[in-house]
Parts: sequence; structure tokens; C-alpha cells
Amino acid sequence: MRELKIRKPTLPHDPPPIALAGMNARALREQRFGWALVSPSVFIILALILYPVVYNIYLSFFEFKLTGDNIFVGLRNYVGVITDSEFHLAIRSTLVYVFFSTVGTTLLGLGVALVMNKKFPLRGFVRSLILLPYVAPVISVVFSWQFIFDPVNGIFMDVFHNKLGLFAERFSLIGSPDTAIWVAILFGIWKNFPFTYLMILSRLQAIDETLYEAAEVDGASGWQKFKSITLPEVYFVVSALILLRVIWNFNKFEEVYLLTSNVKVLSVYTYLKAFTGTMDLGQGSTLAVLQFVILIGFILFYVKKVLKW
Amino acid sequence: MVKKKNPLKSFGFFLLILSIVAFSIFPFVQMLSLSLKYQWDWGNPSLIPRKINLEAYKELLNIGQDLKNVPESVLTLLDETPELTSQQRAAILSKYQSTGEVFPFLRYFGNSLLLSLSAALLSVCLAIFGAYSFSRLRYRGRSVIQRGVLFVYMFGGILLLIPLYRLFASMGLLSTPTGTFVGLLVVYMVQTLPVSLYMLGNYFRTVPFSLEEAAMLEGASRMGIIMKIIIPLSASAIATVYIYSFMIAWNEYLFASVFLKNYKMLYTLPIGLKTLFVSKNAIWDRIMSASMLTAVPVMALFMSIQNKITGGMAAGGVKE
Repeated sequence: MRELKIRKPTLPHDPPPIALAGMNARALREQRFGWALVSPSVFIILALILYPVVYNIYLSFFEFKLTGDNIFVGLRNYVGVITDSEFHLAIRSTLVYVFFSTVGTTLLGLGVALVMNKKFPLRGFVRSLILLPYVAPVISVVFSWQFIFDPVNGIFMDVFHNKLGLFAERFSLIGSPDTAIWVAILFGIWKNFPFTYLMILSRLQAIDETLYEAAEVDGASGWQKFKSITLPEVYFVVSALILLRVIWNFNKFEEVYLLTSNVKVLSVYTYLKAFTGTMDLGQGSTLAVLQFVILIGFILFYVKKVLKW
Repeated sequence: MVKKKNPLKSFGFFLLILSIVAFSIFPFVQMLSLSLKYQWDWGNPSLIPRKINLEAYKELLNIGQDLKNVPESVLTLLDETPELTSQQRAAILSKYQSTGEVFPFLRYFGNSLLLSLSAALLSVCLAIFGAYSFSRLRYRGRSVIQRGVLFVYMFGGILLLIPLYRLFASMGLLSTPTGTFVGLLVVYMVQTLPVSLYMLGNYFRTVPFSLEEAAMLEGASRMGIIMKIIIPLSASAIATVYIYSFMIAWNEYLFASVFLKNYKMLYTLPIGLKTLFVSKNAIWDRIMSASMLTAVPVMALFMSIQNKITGGMAAGGVKE
């Protein structure tokens, strides 16, 4: 089996590493200049991304009063969140959502990439058409999806109730939490498969054609070619895509919240807790910390076990 | 290699492609169709409207709305008093115009445009220098910065939302409309900055270093090189990154919904649309035409740079 290729960007004519002791004036100037150029970006990222994350951890130990005073409450927010049954429900919906949307997105993306790698008329046009779900703003497509599943006028009920008779009566699929999560998963797959497809396609196009020709000479079937050539070639990109998709879908807010108010994944639950009703910012930040910790735990596990870094 | 084509197989393949395309674009077709239908036509499952209804678009774009609700007597009065300045005329007419109250699409559109254009501009300007720095110059801490940029991918919006809201509120930024606008601008800039840094960094590495060496031998400064060599040579990549950042800002809902809660004047399109949908003014044709008008600029931009941006995304610089 060929070794997996991991493409790493290389620097053309990369200057040699700096020997700190014998650094000449030019290298020193270059170093200063380098820092001067990058420092605004670094400062902004530190101030507006890293500092808020740390501040969020700090906030999770406080209770907020409307007067603006913070009261230190130790782990009370954490106890409150962890013993809350709604939190357990949110974890469950998040896991279901992340698992099925990731599997669906990846499988569909892989399948579409294999199809689009074949030659057919109007291929360029078709390739850009199927990117549209990924590009369109979430807010502009959710209403169309809501209409499709609308109990009165929607086409879904028209097909499955009137034409096929699968359901005894018209009902709102988005209306109840049990069914709404599957609509949200389908929506997530629809919205994100183009990205997966695109990444896999660009890897497929880099596969050496002669590998397939050699396999055909040996009399390999289509499935055998897929299993022993295509799959090993795309293994790395697919597993990296799965990791990214899990991270993104785990943190997903807009695609769920805007489509339906009935699916409370962690991000949505946190948002509702912190910014609606009593605006419990303390428990909100606690939830955000817990969500982050769970995610980091998963990433470490995945990187070790699946990517084997 | 020549293969015999099995007609049944190619027909199956054709069906497969057709169903992929149908799955991808059906919601868009549904959106377009519904935006053009009259209310009595909604229950009709056919995607082709029985009669085309352009009212919703006209209303949103403020076409032909000026005189719609103005009483006849006022119009004649305006005709008979030519000494009125155009400002006074507008003031009189504006009393009768109600469409702006239902859903001031053009204002929301303007807010979104201003925010996205400036956030993307700031982000790209910063990223050009930052990316040049860590793709070309050698210094201590460079690889930490490079990896740190990637680390940012793991933070979801919700993790930053609460602390940034607290910070900006305690700085008093959220108590004035201008401050709120600036705050949101900064948030959008910082959300797109890591992507811009990463994508541009990858691109700058492909610019031949020999060009820079030649310029340096002729006495050009590093700054001069960035301005005269790197930027012109990377113009298309910079445009791509700009549009990508623009799209991220244009689509953002989470921060806008929290920061702009009290400033209806400043609403961006996503939050405006969401508010419209839950209000009593929600009618499908209006919502769908607003959705179309929100999606079209972004989709048109994307199509215009599609070949380049897909290359850029393949290079790994993406964020959701």
C-alpha cells in the first residue's frame, strides 16, 4: 500500500533558522519587522478571542445582579447546571444531532464527490449549482425549509399524506421536538455536504490515474478499486473533515435555532438561558465552559485514536 | 481506455446526477416560486405560480410605493404648490408611507452592507501584513502564532458571546447606537481575521521569493515589497479572501441578535428577517422575496469568484 500523502506547504527559498548567538543586524531587523507586522492581528486575537474565553471561565463562578454587581458563588453554577434535567436533554439532542448530521454530511459528500469526479456534459455548471446550499445565508433558506414542512401548504405533507398516504393526517414535522431534530439534521446535511464534497473532490482529482489502470489490468472490480485505491487515498482528508464537522456541528447555533425553536442543542440552550427570560449569564457562561470542555475531550480522543498523531 | 457504454447504466447515472441537483436546489426553487405566488395559490403544490405576483418585491424594494397610500387631495395640493422644496415634499409624503414600518428592507440591507464591507476591509488589511509576516519573515514565536490561528477554529460563537457582551456592556459600548455598531464591526472583523490570515498566508507562500530578492538587491524596503510586489501579485487571492470575509459577516446572526436588540434602526438583514417572521406582518410571499433578496447578493458574489474560492477553501482556510 502506498503511504498516505500529507501535503504540507513548504517555503520556497526558506531562509535558514536563526542562530540566536550570531545574529546579524539584518536578521534582527527582520525579526523586529516581522513582529511589527503581525502584532496588530495578534493583539486583536488575544484581546477579543483568547481573553474573552478566559473571562468566560471567570464569569462562570459568579452570579450576576441587574445592578451590575457580581457575587462569587464558587461552583454553584456548575452544580445548578449539571443537576438540571434540561441540560441532560440538551446533551442528548446535541449528541444525536452531531452524530447523524456528521455521518450524513460525510457520506453524502463522499458519494457526490465520487459522482462529480466522473466526466459528464455540463459538469462545471452542475458542480457550481450544488455548492449553492453552502453559500446561501442560513436565514435566507430556513423559511423555505419551514414552508416545505408546513402542515397546511407544504409540499412534504402533500406528497406523503395526499399522494402516498403514509401519514393518516397532516401535521407539523417541525412542530414537535421529536421530529424537528430530524428535520434539523436533514437541513444540516443539505447545508454542509457541498463543503465536504468539494474537499474530497479536490483530493480525488489528485489521485494518480495509472493506479486505476493497473488495477483494471489485474481485473479488479469497481468495488475493489474503490476499497483498495480510492479509500486509502481519501482516508486522511475524510477523517480531518469529520473532525472539523464534529467541531462545527457541536458548536452549531444558527442552523438549528433559526430553523426551529423546538430543538435545544447545547448552543441554543445556552443562548436561551443567557439572553432570554431571566438572562442567567452566570449559568450561561458555565454552560459555554462545559460545552468547550466536552469538545476538547472529544478532539483529544479523536486525534489520538483516529488520526493517530 | 475505451469502454462500452451500457445505456441502462448511463441512464441511471443521469438520474443520480439529476437527484443530487434537485436535492441541492429544491429549496431555492421553492423560495422563488412562493415569492411570486398570490396567497390563494399557496396551497397549490405546483412550483409554477398560476399568476405572477410581484407586489412583495416591489414593496421591499420600495418601487412604486411612494404614492400608493397617499390621498388624492394631498397629491393635488402638492401639484398646485410648486414653491415647496423637495425636502418639504418628501416630508409630507413620508407621513403616508407605511411600508417602511412593516419591513424596512432597504435600511436593513444598507446596514448589512456597511457592516460587512467595512469588517471585511479591516480584516483583510490586517491580514495582509500579518500573513506576510508569518509566511515570509523568520522570528521567534512565529510557529506559535501560526498554530494559534488554527486553534481559534475550535471556539464556537456562543463561547465568545457572553464574555464579549459583558465586556462591551461594561465599557459602555452598547449604550449608544454608534458604540453598538462599532462593537459589532469589531466582532465581525475578529471572526474573519483568522480565516483571512490563514488563507493569505497560504497564498503568499506561492509567490516566488526570487522576485523579492531581486527587489531587495535594488534597494527596495520590505514595506515597499509588500506594497509593490506582494499585493499586486496576490490581487485575486486578496479579493477572494475579502469576499469570503464579507460573506461570513453578511450571514452572521448570533452576535447581531444580542447586540442590536434595542436598536431597530441598526438591524442587519438576518435579524430583520427573523423579526419579520415572528411578527404579525409575516406573509409567505413577503418572507420569501426578502429571503431571495438576502441570498442573491451573496450567491452572485460567490458565483463570480467560484473557481478561485474553491481553490482557496481546498487550501484549508475555512470557518463556519
